[in-house]
Amino acid sequence: MEWDWAFVAKIMPTLLEGLKLTVLITILSAFVAAGLGLVLAIAKRSRNGWIAKPTAMLIEFIRGTPLLVQLYFIFFVLPDVGIVLPPLVAGVIGMGLHYATYTAEVYRAGIENVPKGQWEAARATNLTVPQTWIHVVIPQALPPMIPALANYLIAMFKETPLLSAITVLELMNQAKSVANSNYRYIEPMTLVGAFFLVMSLLSVILLRWLERRYGRLAK
Amino acid sequence: MKKTLIALTLLLAPTSVLADTLDDLKAQGFVRIAIANEPPFTAVAADGTVSGAAPDVARVIFKRLGVNDVVASISEYGAMIPGLQARRHDAITAGLFMKPERCQAVAYSEPILCDAESFLVLKGNPKGFKSFADIAANPDAKIGAPGGGTEEKLALEAGVPRDRVIVVPDGQSGLKMLQDGRIDVYSLPVLSISDLMKKANDPNLEKVAPVQGAPVYCDGAAFRKEDVALRDAFDKELAKMKANGEFAAIVEPYGFSAAAASATSRAKLCGE
Repeated sequence: MEWDWAFVAKIMPTLLEGLKLTVLITILSAFVAAGLGLVLAIAKRSRNGWIAKPTAMLIEFIRGTPLLVQLYFIFFVLPDVGIVLPPLVAGVIGMGLHYATYTAEVYRAGIENVPKGQWEAARATNLTVPQTWIHVVIPQALPPMIPALANYLIAMFKETPLLSAITVLELMNQAKSVANSNYRYIEPMTLVGAFFLVMSLLSVILLRWLERRYGRLAK
Repeated sequence: MKKTLIALTLLLAPTSVLADTLDDLKAQGFVRIAIANEPPFTAVAADGTVSGAAPDVARVIFKRLGVNDVVASISEYGAMIPGLQARRHDAITAGLFMKPERCQAVAYSEPILCDAESFLVLKGNPKGFKSFADIAANPDAKIGAPGGGTEEKLALEAGVPRDRVIVVPDGQSGLKMLQDGRIDVYSLPVLSISDLMKKANDPNLEKVAPVQGAPVYCDGAAFRKEDVALRDAFDKELAKMKANGEFAAIVEPYGFSAAAASATSRAKLCGE
């Protein structure tokens, strides 16, 4: 079992193709998770029980079931009720929805960190509820959340190989297909590991910077 | 010193190492085989019982060789040969068709199960696929095939680009993806598609068989390159069974032609 550089050169373009898709999926899912997570967090805080209770249950349900099962459900079961999503879209929705329930908790922590006096001041100055959220609460709650959110971004990135189960040709799937036609696992799998490591390390550097930049502002 | 040792090992290898594999198997009482779950080649029942033509033939032959039991593990087609090389199993009995590049990687037995390739399409074959080249020529057509299987390779060789060859994990998913319109055609050997259609019982499906330009392929039991002695012992029993009709009695109920397997040879299929 020895390392073959010529083989590495041969499979590199295919793997880079997969890496591109992996990064794309991560970014798209991150947007879904960030946006949807905020909606879930606000809905869960709602004083109207008809909104807050079902939202809380939905969050518990999604957090309590494996992402892989959810992906299978979205990809293979939804078509039975007439919803046929392309693999990439199904994957982004699955990952985005799953991680939205985690980011919702981050948002909750951030929102609860905004001093009560701010809410009272907003009411005293006659701001409407949407105005309070948009102009007072979210701008203060968001910066301290950024490092925690970025953490989930890295976690999400490392979960993308799950999408190979629903036929998305991301990095892991490309590597498997390369290995399948050449009967060699050592190079493709080592490269996949290396790619993920490099990307994660780069993200960690970004994360440290974000922590320095925004983490302190909250004080 | 080291060099002499290596030379010595190499010299001794043909007898000692190879005889060991069968002796080891006998001593441990079972042989590990790789299977897929693609009836009628290989099948796993809900209670875990392994059947299918390939494991059934292997079970009988190994018993005659003095290995009483087979332990099967399900694997993707593409992972079978690397798994064999990594010693995760001792033989592949899964309908892994002989193709020259596979013959380079493993030691095949003589042919066991022969079948042509086929397409599963929607009723009336709306896109008119008759060959892998037809799929390559239609820029919107997507084909589903097992990962690392013969059909995936045939599609890629015919010029279907990678992003239109969808790797389908198992027969049920392939069927579902065709019904949902995610793929336009699902390719497997004729008998596998027939089996799938029977189970699906869906009047909106149709089989195209045989696929034009794809020859009839045969599989064999595949062993590690260094286990040629084990392969030869396997071949000897297989030849006996082919001659006395036992072979036909096992494979024909599954729909395979015993005559087709006897009419060809490893040498021919491997292009040796």
